[in-house]
Order: sequence, then C-alpha cells, then structure tokens
Amino acid sequence: MIRKQAIRVISSEIGNNVIVSANGYISRDLFDVNDKSKNFYMIGSMGLSSSIALGVAIKNPKKRIFVFDGDGNILMNLGSLTTIGSLKPKNLIHIVFDNEIHESTGSQPTQTQHISIKKLAKSANYKAFQVSTQNNLKKVLNQIKKIPGPIMVVVKIQGSNSISKRVTLDTIEIRDRFLNSLKNKH
Amino acid sequence: MKKISQARMFDYLLTKKIENYIGVPDSTMKHFIDRGLKKKKILITTREDEAIGIAVGMYLSGSLSLVFMQNAGFANSISTITSLVQLYEIPLIFLIGWRGYLKNDAPEHTKIGKIQPHILKILELQSKLVTNDNWKYCCDWAVKKIKQKQSCALVIRRIFYD
Repeated sequence: MIRKQAIRVISSEIGNNVIVSANGYISRDLFDVNDKSKNFYMIGSMGLSSSIALGVAIKNPKKRIFVFDGDGNILMNLGSLTTIGSLKPKNLIHIVFDNEIHESTGSQPTQTQHISIKKLAKSANYKAFQVSTQNNLKKVLNQIKKIPGPIMVVVKIQGSNSISKRVTLDTIEIRDRFLNSLKNKH
Repeated sequence: MKKISQARMFDYLLTKKIENYIGVPDSTMKHFIDRGLKKKKILITTREDEAIGIAVGMYLSGSLSLVFMQNAGFANSISTITSLVQLYEIPLIFLIGWRGYLKNDAPEHTKIGKIQPHILKILELQSKLVTNDNWKYCCDWAVKKIKQKQSCALVIRRIFYD
C-alpha cells in the first residue's frame, strides 16, 4: 500500500471528520484525494500536527479529531505523545503513515526502521494498532469507532514515485475555512 | 517581578478572556505559573514549539492563548513562529523570561540574553517589558493586540540571582 491509497481508504471510511495533516506529501495527497474545509493543512512547522490537533481536540470534545502524521514528523515531536497520553483526549485519533523514510527530501532513512512507533504510543497511554494492508486498515478503522482515545494507528506504507500536486490554497484560506467549519455543531 | 504582581497579572489576563496558558516553565515567572496551576488553567508541555502548536489548535477553535517560555525556549521556537504563527497569522501572546539580562547570570544565558531584543525585532514581534508598575498597562496592550489579530510578546526580566 502506498500513502495515497491509504489516505483514500481512510477518507472514505471516516467521512467529513476534522483532519489536521502534517507537512510534505501527506497534506499534498490529502488535498488531492479529498479536499474539504475540515482539513487543516500544516504547510510548515514540521512535527507539530499532533500538537495542533490536541488543541483542537481539547476544545471540541464532541467531535472526532484525526491527525495525519508521518514517521519523520512524529519523531521530531515525540514529547507530543507524552502530552497527549497524559491528557487522554477521548476524541483524538492519531494516524501515522510510516514509510521509514523522509520521502519528500529524497528518501533518507528514519529511525522507525529500528524503533516501533506503536510501542512508543502504547507506553504513552495510547491504544495503538499497526496495519499494512488496506483490508486491515478498514477493519481497524471500524474497530476504533467504539473505543475512547487517544488512539494511534500506524499505517506501514511503501515509498512511491507518485507525487501529488501542491496545496494551492493560501494559508489564510486554510485557516479561515477550517475555523469556520469548527463553529458548526456537526 | 514580585509574587503579588505576577499573581495579579495572571488573574487580570484571565478576566480578559485569555483562556489558555500553555508552555514550558521558567523560574523568572514562577509566581505567574503557580497562580495558574492553582486555578487549573496551566498546560505544561515538553517543548515550547509544542506549546505553540497546541495554542494554534485552540485558536482555530475560537479560544485565545498565552504561551510562556524562557528565552532559551524562545530561540527554540523561531521556526514555529515564522512557519506557523506568522504564516497563518495566528494571534498569540508570548510571555518570555529574559535570562541573561543581568551581566553575571549563568553563562548559558549570556549570548541569548544579549541578542533577544534583536531577535524579537527581526521577527517583527512587538514586545513590552513588564514590571511591577506597568503590568496592567502591558496586559491591556497585549489583549488589544491579540483582539486585533496580532501576536505580541511580554518580556519579564530576570533581575535576581539564585
């Protein structure tokens, strides 16, 4: 499975939920597959998507908040796991697309070749899952609907040559439509 | 700054609808943080950029924040300020402890203490020095800024030794 396939599966399974997505190819794939106002594309500030999502989750306890993170991204902000695990937001679902490389900078290796993010998340009070096929991904997404968060789903993916177009919205537009979408009750 | 001024400053900002106080502790503002802990309004993070990320998420949910840190942590946050706070024009109040303000502060603070005012200026982050006498004025200024959708910084100098 490549990232874009995984993002396609998740987007169709979770519907119109809030997603905070990490910089690099993750946001580009999401923008290409399923752009919507409830997506916050984090263009810069690598590592911080789970922190932004935590802020959103705390303030919107009745909404399910998804993070689309990468292995390189979460490794830059491992402290975020301990903050999330301490606060235990029930509505936070942390998805990590793990290709074990920094794909957008030329596929240099990350340390998830040696260290399991799922284990780290478990130590930090998450309920953690790991999948590597589309079928298992669908199963887990279904399973977690009834489980209170924080939840981590590590999606093992392969590197890919397919590169999605850049996010063409400007940052103020991303901000405003996301902010306005959160004002709705649903 | 005196204990009483720091505690009053916290209470005052809370009445001005600054709802979230997130950051990494600094002994320079210990009493401000203690007051917030007592009122269960403080969220301590592992790093300063993490605190900024959380505050951005809260702003996107319609809730205003103050992010506190020592100036060492402020230096850690520069990229997050330029590529998140300023790129998306997210209004936040920064409260920064100025270590290295006194010449014989601990050696690790000397350089950052010296260049801190320049960094604020280069970042185009407007700031004010908070004292026992002007804290209310500084808070009003910061609240006005944030409501005009601009970020700003309040700086507390370290004027004692430990």
